[in-house]
Amino acid sequence: MPSVTLLGQALISGVLAGGMYGLLAMGLSLSWGLLRLVNLSHFALAFLSAYAVYELGTTWHVAPWWSAALVVPAMFCIGAAQHWLFDKFRVNELASLLVTFSFAVILEAGIQLYWTADFRRYETAYATRSIKAGPFFIPVLELMLCLVAGALAWGTWVWLTKTYVGKALRASAEDAEIAAAYGVNHRKLAYLLSGIGAGYAGIAGTFIALIATLAPSEIWTWLGVVFAVVIIGRLGNPLGALLAGLLIGASQSVAMAIFSPAWAPVVSFSMLIVVLLWDPEWI
Amino acid sequence: MNVGRDLPKLVAPLAIGAFALLPGAGLPAFYDSFLYLVFFWVSLATSWALLSGFAGYFSLGHAAFFGVGLYTTAVMAAKFDVPFLLTLPAAMIIPALLAIGIGAIVFRLRRLRGELFALLTLAVTFVIATIILNTPIDGGGGIFMSAVPLPSLMPTPTGTLYVLGLAICVATLATAWKVGHSRLGMGLFAIHDDEDVAEAKGVPTFRFKLAAFALSAAIAGIVGGVHAMFVGFITVSGTFDLTVPLYVVLMSVLGGSRSWFGPAIGAVVITSLLYSFSGGSEAIMGRAIVGVVLIIAILWLPDGVVPELRKRLKRWSSTTAPASVEVAPVVVPARPIGDRHVLEARGVTKRFGGLLALAGVDLDVKEGEIVGLVGPNGSGKTTLINVISGHYPLSSGTIAVDGLQLGTLPAYQIARRGVARTYQIPRPFTNMSALENVVAAASFGGPPRGSREIHDEALHWLAFTGLAGKEDVLPAGLNLHERKFLELARALAAKPKLLLLDEVLSGLNPAEVANAIRLVRAIRAQGATIVFVEHLMRAVVELSDRVAVLNEGRLFALGAPREVMRDPRVVSIYLGKAYAA
Amino acid sequence: MIERVGRWRRRRVLAGMAAGAVSLAMPSLLRAAPTGKPVRVGGTLSLTGFLAQTAAIHKIAAEMMVEEINGRNGLLGRPVEYVLLDDQSKPEMARSLYEKLITVDKVDLIQGPYATAPILAAMGVAQRYGKVMIQSSMGIPKLQTYDRAFPATPFGSEPDKTYPNVILDAMASIPTPPRTMVVLTSKFPSAQFMAKGMQKEAEGRGVKVLLYLEYESGNHDFGAIAARLKEANPDFLWVGSLGLESNLLLEALRKLDYAPKNHFHLYPAPGPLALSPDGDRALCSTFLEPDEPFMSRPGMKRFAAEFKERAAKINLPYTTIDAQACGMISEWQMLETAVNAAGSLEDAKIAAWLKAHKVDTVFGRLRFDGPYNHGDAAQLIKQVQNKEWKVVWPKEFAAPGIKLIAS
Repeated sequence: MPSVTLLGQALISGVLAGGMYGLLAMGLSLSWGLLRLVNLSHFALAFLSAYAVYELGTTWHVAPWWSAALVVPAMFCIGAAQHWLFDKFRVNELASLLVTFSFAVILEAGIQLYWTADFRRYETAYATRSIKAGPFFIPVLELMLCLVAGALAWGTWVWLTKTYVGKALRASAEDAEIAAAYGVNHRKLAYLLSGIGAGYAGIAGTFIALIATLAPSEIWTWLGVVFAVVIIGRLGNPLGALLAGLLIGASQSVAMAIFSPAWAPVVSFSMLIVVLLWDPEWI
Repeated sequence: MNVGRDLPKLVAPLAIGAFALLPGAGLPAFYDSFLYLVFFWVSLATSWALLSGFAGYFSLGHAAFFGVGLYTTAVMAAKFDVPFLLTLPAAMIIPALLAIGIGAIVFRLRRLRGELFALLTLAVTFVIATIILNTPIDGGGGIFMSAVPLPSLMPTPTGTLYVLGLAICVATLATAWKVGHSRLGMGLFAIHDDEDVAEAKGVPTFRFKLAAFALSAAIAGIVGGVHAMFVGFITVSGTFDLTVPLYVVLMSVLGGSRSWFGPAIGAVVITSLLYSFSGGSEAIMGRAIVGVVLIIAILWLPDGVVPELRKRLKRWSSTTAPASVEVAPVVVPARPIGDRHVLEARGVTKRFGGLLALAGVDLDVKEGEIVGLVGPNGSGKTTLINVISGHYPLSSGTIAVDGLQLGTLPAYQIARRGVARTYQIPRPFTNMSALENVVAAASFGGPPRGSREIHDEALHWLAFTGLAGKEDVLPAGLNLHERKFLELARALAAKPKLLLLDEVLSGLNPAEVANAIRLVRAIRAQGATIVFVEHLMRAVVELSDRVAVLNEGRLFALGAPREVMRDPRVVSIYLGKAYAA
Repeated sequence: MIERVGRWRRRRVLAGMAAGAVSLAMPSLLRAAPTGKPVRVGGTLSLTGFLAQTAAIHKIAAEMMVEEINGRNGLLGRPVEYVLLDDQSKPEMARSLYEKLITVDKVDLIQGPYATAPILAAMGVAQRYGKVMIQSSMGIPKLQTYDRAFPATPFGSEPDKTYPNVILDAMASIPTPPRTMVVLTSKFPSAQFMAKGMQKEAEGRGVKVLLYLEYESGNHDFGAIAARLKEANPDFLWVGSLGLESNLLLEALRKLDYAPKNHFHLYPAPGPLALSPDGDRALCSTFLEPDEPFMSRPGMKRFAAEFKERAAKINLPYTTIDAQACGMISEWQMLETAVNAAGSLEDAKIAAWLKAHKVDTVFGRLRFDGPYNHGDAAQLIKQVQNKEWKVVWPKEFAAPGIKLIAS
């Protein structure tokens, strides 16, 4: 039986790794849940942001936080521009899969053309710092990621549930016609939401640049697990997406600490299947 | 419609013959292997669409069935020396059983639709892949098939795989065509549009979904079995990655996933695109060009290639004069109210958690009688209809229709025993024309009869409800009034013993109300037994033989309309609650 | 037979030496440009998809070699034309594209793709058409069951038995030889194959394997695995890693404030690991590095310089030539030698010649008469020292002044 230190450390690492799933899932969850658009290019946008942060950092020596200040608004514009296309051509939920998949393929090719397929690593001082808490170590960057993701998720949740604009958005998602009858300008709000979703990709990308080594095909790495996280967290619910991310991350990690690490997906996804079938109140 | 039906019959044998002769035609072997991959994707995408396209159960787990089939063949042939061809039946059966096992649990849970079903199938894929990876089935080292002899069905091994791929592809398309034009297909399309309504109209939704799932998995499995020989070296990461589920979705979406032929078109287009830029110098740009082509294709054909073409074909052909329908009205003399009880409800109780929606309702309805069901909002009227039609299971009490205890029968069985209902807000099958809507209801709800007869009856009921000339219109093209009448036509087409009408008149303007009342009278004149929920008192008094008043889940009063309406207790609950509200 | 081989070898060596000496002395004079219809050599690489970073390296090496060969006498006096297709990192694509190369493009010769699965897919095609296939990156020699498939990289026929002992010898040479170790491996066929061998050989030599752990290939989450390693605290850590996995693991370990003692990595991406702050003193498998004694091998200096230039030109971040690129160079050296020596483009003759002879490549002199057409194993150990890979074991291959540094 593994020691308490090991389990505790695995739990901490897992929760923090899950922050990345959650952060990536949030943007996807918003557009899927509230606009009924499944944006497969979300991952590609995140990696494009990561490459941009890498380029700014290595070539121009811009600090990653300043790069983020450039990249996130740029992503917002890309997200809004994407929505212009969806809106103009009245892309439905299924067609959005194909359109955004194609976007992702184009972005992947573009990244490979400019940055080549070889690995790119943005070495910074942040990458491997940890805080020591008793017998446990808490990596600073991942902690920061989780805090940022938490703040974003909380802020977005408050915005969606407490403000007029947010409520209007959710009302439009339930029934666009009725919401329109109450004077909700769904189309304008949709641009805002798409932009925000892509902005999240920008934030996720900044952290990816700092945490990961980049390669164009890495775009597809998190697709499966993040899809699962989006749905577990309930579509359109950023807080749910983040919590689901943390949960999957933690369960995988603890499973890796106890069993053979290769068995970990069985543990977390069997758990997910059981939860789906059992359907407890809290989910 | 006829073009759609007859053209494949003509073209198919020619195409199959041409393709079957191809390996002998002296083309370079590459074309065998390229076409094999086209067949591979056509079969996979089409099989995915059997459940996910037809019935709308969007699966992200097609790789699970494909992979299980692939590993079945690989393990049997490479580790147990079973001849390759003999492994193929197992590669079909095992994934099909897996699908039945999953479906038997998942399809019982109504909430596991839409994205939750997608998630579940995705999770199942991960779990199966991990199990195969960590058990002796694979163990991580991969399975090498080089020692497995390939039977010489054709002069070359690639030719053999080509022929197997072609055979599976033809069988898959034939299956999809057959399903698409069968009762099963009609049921699946109905499930796609509105599963609850499909069940209430007599579609055995659980069995149909299970059948579609098993069929879909079996095809994916045998495709995998053959593919094991094509790939030659099998690894878990190469088999269960997201390529298969993602590509089958993209191909089906591009071609049109509700059409039997759509996924095939999508598969041909995407596979060809992937091969068109395999040259070393343009590989990366080629990827980007593929992306651009796909975006342009789907933006201009948002519903997929096949449905869009069909739509355009229809627009083009409908410039010819619309066929007018002439059906002799069926005149049935009015029958008196009989003595037999068509409906016997005893102590009907329905609880939702702590809420008691129906608290022991007793109600008998005689043959040919019209009973109006009234009561304030939340008194349990619609719940009673939902319970009788089997949408909700009873908490306690008994319901018998025509002397037969309904017990815990599923809704579709109740529909087949002669109970038809309408919905307050019309719930037509949105992707079916008015005629198809009625045909579906007639096929599943009524007694078994030939398709010709069903077709004629459907036309009759459309004419009866004043929808003649709108047969080919999709429900979105009908106004509320017409959609309400379509609801009635669907209910009547099932030849019900007991007709449950839920607020047929709400939302209609006075002229439409008068029209609707005339229609209900006409229905009554045919001798139907009707229970109807209605708020409009004028209609209740005019139409009902008896009125039942529900209040807080109990039967509050029952009797002749005018007497009941004058009952001071009834007036008080009505004035106190309904009118005040 | 032996005598004939000997005679052949002598003749070839003499001819090679003469040609080499002359071409070094007066390169431009003797370069009779090849003429006539080009000899088409076809192959696929994973130019797109998840193996794309390896393809970039192989493509450079192959193009370099084609120019090099055409700068000499080509193949049989005819120029070489390289027909490169993109298999998109998918074995089924590799299979059908090799069919395309052979039956549609009608290439004269083929070269193998990269990585075990595409190689095996292509090997089946080669076998059906009787084509010679030279490949450089299949880590499980026993799967190379086709008698005209030849390895351009000296794995030896049983690397799972031979190479672990090279590693254990190296470990035995350090001041405090490890008594305990952890074997951690990706469940990738060629990595797992070596990991199992490592576990067995280590136990056979009395090194206690505290933990044998397998993780899913492509895993990105090493937090829990790192915590387990830290707790086990072995004297030696052997990682059957591919690509970035080693970097991820070492970063995860550092986040736990734990630096593994001696640690070995099987097939990591060399650039990122060398440059990582955690990569210092990491050990790794190799066949050569651009250092002495390897730089003294014929052509190696030129290859290294040329590779650097071409890699920089297409904007690759790591421009130093490595064993992978040399695998591709070796493939072409074998092809050039075998075709010209056999005097034929017929696969049967080329294969027969290769089986009976040795070829001088950047990896040294290779022979192909052992099991699965493999010859002697020549896997070495390199170590990151000052952000550069240096061969440290066996000692005779270490550059002057370079030693294995224990930690």
